Amino acid sequence: MKLHRINALLLKYYYITINRIDRLFDIIYWPILDLFIWGFTALFIQKLSDVNVLSMLLGGVILWVFVWRASQDIAVFVLEDFWSRNLYHLFSSPVKLSEHLVSIIIMGFLRALATFVLMWAVGMIFYSFNILDISPLLIAFSVLLLTIFGWAIGLFVAAFIFRFGQRIQVMAWSVTFLLSPFACVFYPLSALPDWAARIAAAIPATYVFEAMRAMINGDPINKAGLAYSLISSIILFVAMAFFLERSFRKSKKTGLLAKGD
Amino acid sequence: MNYIEVQNLVKAFKERGKAITAVNNVSFSVRKGEIFGLLGPNGAGKSTTINMLTGLLEKDSGNIKILDFDPDKNWEYVKNNSNVATAYSWLSDVLTIRQNLRVYAKLYGVKNYEHKIDELLEMFELKNVADRKIIRLSSGENTRAVLCKGLINNPKVLFLDECTVGLDPDIADKTRGIIKDYQKKNDCTILFTSHYMYEVEELCGRIAFMSNGKIIRIDTSSNLKKLIKKHTVEIAVKKNIKLLKEFLKTEGVDIVFEKDNSIVFEVTTEEDKMYKVISKIFHKGFMLSNLHVKGPTLDDIFIKIARGK
Repeated sequence: MKLHRINALLLKYYYITINRIDRLFDIIYWPILDLFIWGFTALFIQKLSDVNVLSMLLGGVILWVFVWRASQDIAVFVLEDFWSRNLYHLFSSPVKLSEHLVSIIIMGFLRALATFVLMWAVGMIFYSFNILDISPLLIAFSVLLLTIFGWAIGLFVAAFIFRFGQRIQVMAWSVTFLLSPFACVFYPLSALPDWAARIAAAIPATYVFEAMRAMINGDPINKAGLAYSLISSIILFVAMAFFLERSFRKSKKTGLLAKGD
Repeated sequence: MNYIEVQNLVKAFKERGKAITAVNNVSFSVRKGEIFGLLGPNGAGKSTTINMLTGLLEKDSGNIKILDFDPDKNWEYVKNNSNVATAYSWLSDVLTIRQNLRVYAKLYGVKNYEHKIDELLEMFELKNVADRKIIRLSSGENTRAVLCKGLINNPKVLFLDECTVGLDPDIADKTRGIIKDYQKKNDCTILFTSHYMYEVEELCGRIAFMSNGKIIRIDTSSNLKKLIKKHTVEIAVKKNIKLLKEFLKTEGVDIVFEKDNSIVFEVTTEEDKMYKVISKIFHKGFMLSNLHVKGPTLDDIFIKIARGK
């Protein structure tokens, strides 16, 4: 891997972010809209219950951003090159797939961090909610874990894009949303019916939100769950990186990379 | 020394379970500093060949050497010293031309790239649209932007795949001039494909004709033209057009077209037949008002090969 090539691609994704309003909306508009919807919902429920619903819902919304951005940015930035028929020029240059991915991952993380800071500030201003009050250490650990999990999903989707092209681009937006009901972002694992709880228990992100809620309620944290979450996220990430590499090779064999559609 | 060497290159694709051989045992070599043309109808396998040479497509079998290296083993050196321009693939469309060129300059590790970018923008007359997004450019401007990218790293080997499509005649002529100048100054090796025969004739030393995935013939344009042994003669007379027509029939030439006082006919160049027929026309006292002789063009060769004649 060469740093100057990673820098070049970071510059490219920076230009895409500032030139394209959709990519700016990704990090500002949708997350803030989400925060207001869940914030007002939480304020309403708060009046009916003694449970700290505001912290649970807003904490969930703010942390979920890392899964959302980390996964979607990988898929969407790969798609950007398909949309502009630019893959031909990109991969006829000395760029390696690993450099391409590292740059997208870094840009995705920076964009997620920007969204996090924005949501943290909005949470403080409008709801007097400071996510770091929950536990700075747990939040930092959660950010790391959810980002790795998000990257794994993003690599999975990117692998499908390299294998089948733009026709499966809907996956870029739908996979994260498909997972969210089972990741227990807004409600505890115990609230799910049996069949759904079994799925949720296998998803690494579930334990992060469970730990956040336990911390808010002053309950003990499921450390074994968090350990499972970290290990399984790393394994998933490595497996998906391998899958992506295989798909990229396949696209070179089938001609999809040269055609770029 | 050969800067591009291709031996027994094969690539097949599967379409509905059936294998279709797009490139079938293709071999050719391009000398250092040569502009080599790859010609053929759509689907002949030209772009597939270039895609394999640029590393975008995996070959099924065969050997490729670029700059005397196996690109699979020395890909970084090969890619840093080569480049490609095609009209069929854009630069990133949400970026401006200048932004794109910055990105590619960094990717190829070009030093002092701002100066190089200005030089290329000036050369391809793109300075006034340099800060416009690719998506807002005309197709001609897009094509020139891609050519700027193609020269950003001063490549030793350049692949130009239909790179003048969409350019108006004036800009296309200037572009050919730039390619020729660049090739001369840098002793660059160029593999050039185009549908415009005059362009290939103007630029390329040798030409490979491809059809159905195979190379039919490699030669210079003047030798290729010898494949067609017929010239077209257009002749107009002040009077006696009927007599001229009868005379031509007795000489056994093929009359292609006749109108008013003129006749267009095809005559073989073998055994000086054409010169004999024309001199007989003079000797018979026909009063000519126009005489135009046209030799075969690369277009004629292209059509002949494309139609398998």
